[in-house]
Amino acid sequence: MTVLAIIALTIGVWGQRLAGGFLVGPLLERRPALARAASLIPAAVVMAVIVQLTVANGKTLVLDERLAGVAVAGLLVWRRAPFIVVVLGAAATTALLRAV
Amino acid sequence: MSAEPVAASPAPRLSLADFATMAITFFSLGVTLQVVLIDNGTSAIRAFVASSVIFSATSQFAYLAVKEAGGGEWAAIIAGIIVATRFGILAVSLTPRLPTGTLRRVAASLNAFDPNVAIAVQQPTPEGVEREFWRTTAGMYVGWFIGIAVGTFLGDVLGDTQRLGLDAVFPAALLAIIGNLLRTRDGRTAGIAGGLLCVVLLPFVPAGLPIILSLGGVAIAILLSNESTSSEEAS
Repeated sequence: MTVLAIIALTIGVWGQRLAGGFLVGPLLERRPALARAASLIPAAVVMAVIVQLTVANGKTLVLDERLAGVAVAGLLVWRRAPFIVVVLGAAATTALLRAV
Repeated sequence: MSAEPVAASPAPRLSLADFATMAITFFSLGVTLQVVLIDNGTSAIRAFVASSVIFSATSQFAYLAVKEAGGGEWAAIIAGIIVATRFGILAVSLTPRLPTGTLRRVAASLNAFDPNVAIAVQQPTPEGVEREFWRTTAGMYVGWFIGIAVGTFLGDVLGDTQRLGLDAVFPAALLAIIGNLLRTRDGRTAGIAGGLLCVVLLPFVPAGLPIILSLGGVAIAILLSNESTSSEEAS
């Protein structure tokens, strides 16, 4: 990570909480449709990050052992497994498939 | 990171077990993040400082994802900031539930994360909300800082992390973080649409842009959900 990224992300992350609690909150209270849209942003964007990390290599789409690991993680999340179990399940699946 | 075990009961009080759950979750998240950061070429000290001050695994993962794909610095930073909108939204739901007093509200909303807000807002009184909020937050801090310290050390000695499947840990951790959102119908639709948009755009547009354009998934989820509501009204 660059120093610029560390500074910009620190401001961006902490600043959004302040903006949420004190500026956006009162604004959204009067606009329920906007509030609903805002609450869906993380699902769409974080999923895009997940997809990129799972099936892409640079700008090429590739299907490899990572996909199996993330699929196992998805199953574990759906079964409400603890965080540590999800993470270890994904790593173990991917590592095992690479070993064989 | 899931708040499920404690979120299941109607008005949960934080027990020692819940504090431990919170600490263990943030511990594993911290270890994972540090190992991945160092594996991506960040020096151990810089990785430790970054995770201490940013304190957002999602943002740091998103930034790295764009850089890994060959994206520019600002594209990566914007991706990291957009995924942190989640915290702003959590602060929106937390702040009005706290006792009055600007300073106390500022301090709490600055620490809004998924699990602590999920537990705190279930308390019936403003004082209860504040008390449970800080108890869970304490667990997160303890786990996080021990985790990033251990991860910084581990990252230096692990060697080939691909062989250990650590590249799958990174997306798996994110999946666990947004797990609760994906349980709601609209959240699931937005997630699937955002993911599909990213896959389709990835080979064709500059790195970083697929993540930013996945915001279109929100519009798709709202359109689809409005459509199904109006057809239900019509039938």
